[in-house]
Amino acid sequence: MNTRLTVVSAVLLLLMPFVLFAAGGTEDGLAEGQVGFTIWSQEGESEGTFGWVVELTERFMAENPDVAIEVVHKETEALREDFQTASIARQAPELLWTVNDHAGPFVVAGLVRPVSDLFDQDLFVDSVVMEGETWAVPISSGNHLMLLYNRDLVSAPPTNSDELIAAARQFTDGQLYGLVYNQIEPFWMVPWLAGFGGEVFAADGVTPNLDTEAMVDTLQFLADLKFEHGVVPPESDYGTMDTLFKEGSAAFIVNGDWSLGDYRSVLGESLGIAPLPTITATGLDPAPYTSGKYLFVSDQVTDEQLAAIREFVAFVTSEAIQTELFQTFSRLPARLSVLNSEAVQSDPILADSARALAAGVPQPSVLEMRAVWDAMKPEFNAVLAGTTTPEAAAEAMQASALAGIEALR
Amino acid sequence: MNNLDPRIFAQSFSQVALTVTAVVVAAAAIALLVYIVLQRWLKWRFALPIVLIAPAAIGLLLLVAYPIAYNVGLAFSDMNIRRFLPEDRSYGLLQFWENIRSVFTAPVLRQVMFFPLLLRTMLWTAIQVVAHVSLGLFLAVLLNRPMRMRAVYRTILLFPWAIPQVVAVMAWRGEFNFQFGYFNVLLRTVGLEPINWMSSPFWNFVAINLTNIWLGVPFMTVILLGGLQSINRSLYEAAEMDGAGKPGQFRRITLPLIQPVMTPAIVLGVIWTFNNFNIPFFINQQELETSDILVTALFRSAFVYFRYGFASAFALIIFAILLVFTMIYMRVAKFELDLGTKRAMGAKPLGVRR
Repeated sequence: MNTRLTVVSAVLLLLMPFVLFAAGGTEDGLAEGQVGFTIWSQEGESEGTFGWVVELTERFMAENPDVAIEVVHKETEALREDFQTASIARQAPELLWTVNDHAGPFVVAGLVRPVSDLFDQDLFVDSVVMEGETWAVPISSGNHLMLLYNRDLVSAPPTNSDELIAAARQFTDGQLYGLVYNQIEPFWMVPWLAGFGGEVFAADGVTPNLDTEAMVDTLQFLADLKFEHGVVPPESDYGTMDTLFKEGSAAFIVNGDWSLGDYRSVLGESLGIAPLPTITATGLDPAPYTSGKYLFVSDQVTDEQLAAIREFVAFVTSEAIQTELFQTFSRLPARLSVLNSEAVQSDPILADSARALAAGVPQPSVLEMRAVWDAMKPEFNAVLAGTTTPEAAAEAMQASALAGIEALR
Repeated sequence: MNNLDPRIFAQSFSQVALTVTAVVVAAAAIALLVYIVLQRWLKWRFALPIVLIAPAAIGLLLLVAYPIAYNVGLAFSDMNIRRFLPEDRSYGLLQFWENIRSVFTAPVLRQVMFFPLLLRTMLWTAIQVVAHVSLGLFLAVLLNRPMRMRAVYRTILLFPWAIPQVVAVMAWRGEFNFQFGYFNVLLRTVGLEPINWMSSPFWNFVAINLTNIWLGVPFMTVILLGGLQSINRSLYEAAEMDGAGKPGQFRRITLPLIQPVMTPAIVLGVIWTFNNFNIPFFINQQELETSDILVTALFRSAFVYFRYGFASAFALIIFAILLVFTMIYMRVAKFELDLGTKRAMGAKPLGVRR
């Protein structure tokens, strides 16, 4: 009896791995002949764009029953970290719907594949190009900062920085702020740098160029807005500026195209859009960084998955879906035929947004950009906290960026 | 209402169910295997306890020992973003030495070096543990007296401990908001200047400390209250008869007899505070290097600056510091951990051994 029990147990035990393996095999729920892939997207749930991505995949699956797609939401930074970790474990999602900042680390680490064979680049705005290859399929174009204002308070937008300061002073009275912007992220500083004639990188595109007269002037300009003119709040992160503007406690806000849908629903016709005003002292226009949302393909996809992804890319970048994108979320589409269409050009908000976009410059995708952001942030914050001078900050930024780039080697 | 699609529920449930089933089946398989080998074939007398422990032991080995071994392995590598995938990295003793050396000789983050970080971490730990123990002891002594509604006070005191830490920290960060935060609203109301909690290095460090004191005191109170309640009341009565006052009773009875509880609580408190990630990381919204402690710097060096090999070596150094601290402290406090059947009590300080 005992011997029999032992033998039965041993046989069961030997079978166990196969049972587990079989269970694992059905976990992704694929039917016979179906191809599956996973998308990680950093589109926001509150703005409704993530829900739209999910809906798109459902429509695609209805048209293509042999493809099963799972969509997972990740915060921007979590998406980058998790994708890197998952790639080491060879469990990476096949498709990423995200911003171009990630291109640097992903390309350098060899985690994504070039996509020039997946779409016709001539039909779209410029994409993420590094090391002579195209690494992402553009979905939307923009991500550019603009000067947004409340038409109930402001009749005409300022055309130069002196007018902006004068108008903002007029509105600042203790209850109301003339101007709000994100005082934490240097993304909000970079456009003004161009207005003072500076650039983040030297001509080679990878050497930081931060310890310059233009950077000192930029930091001084932003410090003056706070300490001399007193038109911006003493501290404001993204949430604070957003709330102040929405509740009507700020006349002007510097914010990106991603916020247009939201502000349009709050302010309606009262929302005004203008490019950032010309810097009076130099006569130059500020140049916001432009990028957009992109599809990246993991280096670990199989041929079958790649074929399915090619179909999905064609679907997302089709004229119908691109039209839906700007109609629903007021984002400028990446497909040139839609971007230049009458529908976009005749929409007052989008036309103004496109005008602001034209002033922008593409945000560099190189890995060095990461070190530069990290170097600029604390010094930019310190200047606005009044704990350092623009000159010392510019010098420290440069040293820190060089050290950061060195650490990445 | 796409999100409420029952298929999504069914799908997520099936994923969880499969994983849970797999874990249960694997645990049963391990137990069965050990049972067959030890009990049936070897007929060993300790077979049953081993059978019962085996699944948990193997689980712990996989979940704890493997990541530690992986970390030690990475410390010997030159892994960074340019040498990211296993096939691109190289390993070696020389690389390990280089990683250890650069922890002490180069900036750990952008500008801050290792020793200032270590000093700040020690300062942070000292402030926190002193505050937790003194405030915790004070509250525990207050609560250890007969009074009305004692249960209500205790429940209120436990609130901060019951809230998930990250949730509490995010709420506190909101309270430090310059415009809308509670503290600045209060300061403005009484006519004082509001404080730059997020951008000023000093005030940001204060904000981090305030938050952690609020979070840490309840735990210490509960632990010490447990210790206080185990002290025999007759000792106090005897002391009173001998004419000892309250301060004397506290010094000569309460403090020595609460030691067996307080010592491990302090050791744990030091280790947890030293390694506390959530509070310094999340309150420090502007990523000020002046508010970083060792573990937040460790996180940033690995996941912001992609220096994985370096960060692994850095982690080993932090581990070594804590190990040395614990050993020294346990020796100084004459704290012994007795295992097995020799003594009934697990931990006893020498001072109260009778």
